[in-house]
Amino acid sequence: MSRARLPLAALSLASASALLLAGCSQSSDASKAAGDKAAPAAAATGTKPAPFSKGKVKVALVRQSGAGDYFEQWGNGAKAQAKALGIDLTVYDAQADNAKQATDLSAAINSGAKAIIVDHGFPATIQPEIDKAVKKGIKVVVYDVETTNKSVISTKQDDASMAQAVLDVMGDQLGKDAKVGYVNVAGYAALDKRDSVWKKTADANGWKQEFKVGKVTDSTATDNVPLVSAALTQHSDVAGVFAPYDELAKGTVLAVQNKKLQDKVKVFGADVSNADIQNMTAKGSPWVATAGTDPSAVGAAVVRTTALELAGQLNKSSVEFPAVAITQDFLKSKGIENMDQLRKALPALNLSKVSTADWIANVAH
Amino acid sequence: MTTTQSTEVPTKAALPPATSTGLRVQSAVIKYGFIFVTVTLFTYFALSEPSFRDSATLLDTLRYVSVAAILGLGVTLTMAVGGMDMSVGAVAGLGVTVAAKTMVTYNQVGVVAILAVVAAGALAGLLNALLIVVLKIPDMLATLGTMFVIQGTKLILVDGQSITPGMTQSDGTTAPGKFTDGFLRIDRGTVLGVPVSVLIFGALTVVAWVFLARTRWGRVLYAIGANPEASRLAGIRVGAYRALAYVLSGVLASIGGLILASRIGQGDVSAGTSQLLEAVAVALVGTSVLGRGRPNVWGTALGAVLIGIITTGLTIKGLPYYTQDVVEGAVLILALVFSFTLSKRRTA
Repeated sequence: MSRARLPLAALSLASASALLLAGCSQSSDASKAAGDKAAPAAAATGTKPAPFSKGKVKVALVRQSGAGDYFEQWGNGAKAQAKALGIDLTVYDAQADNAKQATDLSAAINSGAKAIIVDHGFPATIQPEIDKAVKKGIKVVVYDVETTNKSVISTKQDDASMAQAVLDVMGDQLGKDAKVGYVNVAGYAALDKRDSVWKKTADANGWKQEFKVGKVTDSTATDNVPLVSAALTQHSDVAGVFAPYDELAKGTVLAVQNKKLQDKVKVFGADVSNADIQNMTAKGSPWVATAGTDPSAVGAAVVRTTALELAGQLNKSSVEFPAVAITQDFLKSKGIENMDQLRKALPALNLSKVSTADWIANVAH
Repeated sequence: MTTTQSTEVPTKAALPPATSTGLRVQSAVIKYGFIFVTVTLFTYFALSEPSFRDSATLLDTLRYVSVAAILGLGVTLTMAVGGMDMSVGAVAGLGVTVAAKTMVTYNQVGVVAILAVVAAGALAGLLNALLIVVLKIPDMLATLGTMFVIQGTKLILVDGQSITPGMTQSDGTTAPGKFTDGFLRIDRGTVLGVPVSVLIFGALTVVAWVFLARTRWGRVLYAIGANPEASRLAGIRVGAYRALAYVLSGVLASIGGLILASRIGQGDVSAGTSQLLEAVAVALVGTSVLGRGRPNVWGTALGAVLIGIITTGLTIKGLPYYTQDVVEGAVLILALVFSFTLSKRRTA
């Protein structure tokens, strides 16, 4: 008998310790994320309103995917801001499995969360669950999701401001009536918004668009090199090329270098990441300007927006995060090599003025 | 799936022999160990997390695992004949695409979509049967091959694009249809508060159990899995029964695809891929339930429920997915210890 019970006891012990171990790794992970990624929070001076005055507030973050440099930093910013606000943040990560995101959202609704943040997702998949959440009186804040529900707070990166910021630099550097090239693809919401700003700005400056090429694939950067190279063979007299997505910009940079035109043709991109900074500051890089948002600051700002909505102080239904122009000259003169250094050198990236109040300890400052 | 019990007469294998008192206790551990782990975990989560006790959370958990469970039932059938079906995830994904194509591109009603999806599943099963039974390719390799072929076919059907209502099609026109409300009810609707997909999971579990454990056909499937040569000599048409198992697996996988399609609400080309490992895992872990050491329907269903409890419980506890995988794996290994390690010790 004892022989039979021993393994059972040992196994239940093993199972319990597995859970315990996992629990430990979670808490250390959370503190590490907060410590590494975010500068010490700007102290809150005001009195916390309800529900924050009554202790921890339960909020769920339901993500389509948390993988990749951008989304990891976004998540770290959100977690750090949640911690600073006294939010008990539960993160549901569907790992790009859309069916799981639907059940995750459903689970979040039943979890007793006061607010739910939905980060990306197919509208057809998540809209019914969002409606259910709103009906239950849960505050819903979406990031980069098209939603039809009027009670939902919509947040997104301001793509128009991103294009405008780069095009302002392009206008300064090329002047009026220049010959220009354009690398972009239709059919992606973010790129379409950047496209409409391009058309307006190009018209206003009297730029002559000599070519428009571009495609989006599994390896966009590499696959655009032959397209842009061919276009540059035909039109080697362009003064600048606008490629409003960093993968397109990378392909354009390679094409310009292949054609040995880096002294004549300037590349104006969009988005910013560690790899993009490396690319722009490399010797002989024709990529002279880009614009971007800091994913970590955006994640934090989305959580602050949620907090304001919970406290009944938001008073608007959409918040957009403006992009900031970043030039090659700026990066080189400050010796910036990565996002961390860029954040320090360019405070505007931190969105510290967006969705904040005196009672909010702001992690971005 | 040949196990230590495979030498027993199949009809008797359902009842583990217990000859003496000592062995009876040990066989109780083997028999109920898995259920003990499930109940322990459930109690732990229920006591420590109030929101876990909520009936809505429990139904959500069942809804979440319903697809993997139904796919797992198909895998169980193929394991019963000594095979394995690696194509179930791809077939479910094909189901999502066929459903979207039928309703959105061809503007058909939900019933037509359901018939088309199930037909596609049966066809995929027939393809597996052809490769395994007629062309004699080993089951694992054959179904791995069809997995890739089906995934590729699915992408070709839609030019690699997810089908969404109102999308611009390759010929420049706008897609005329949408997912019908009736079709969306497969996963989003409820009957007496229970999600329809959970009811489908429950119904299919009962049907599969009756089929596999209570009919002659089911016993024949197990007999083939235990000893195909003896079955053949006993006059059983082994090839036909193995083909039947793969076709049924294809049909079950397509039903899982219907639920996925209804849950996602558009033709997501990546759907289904994540379901394969979970389906195989629940079928494998199911072999340890009730100490059977062989594929069985209740084991598969309970295995799916256990995975659901772990995933939901750990998420409510705030563990990120990458730590969940470790815990999930550890509990699965623990469950398998009951059926394999302890069973071996008993027979030794």
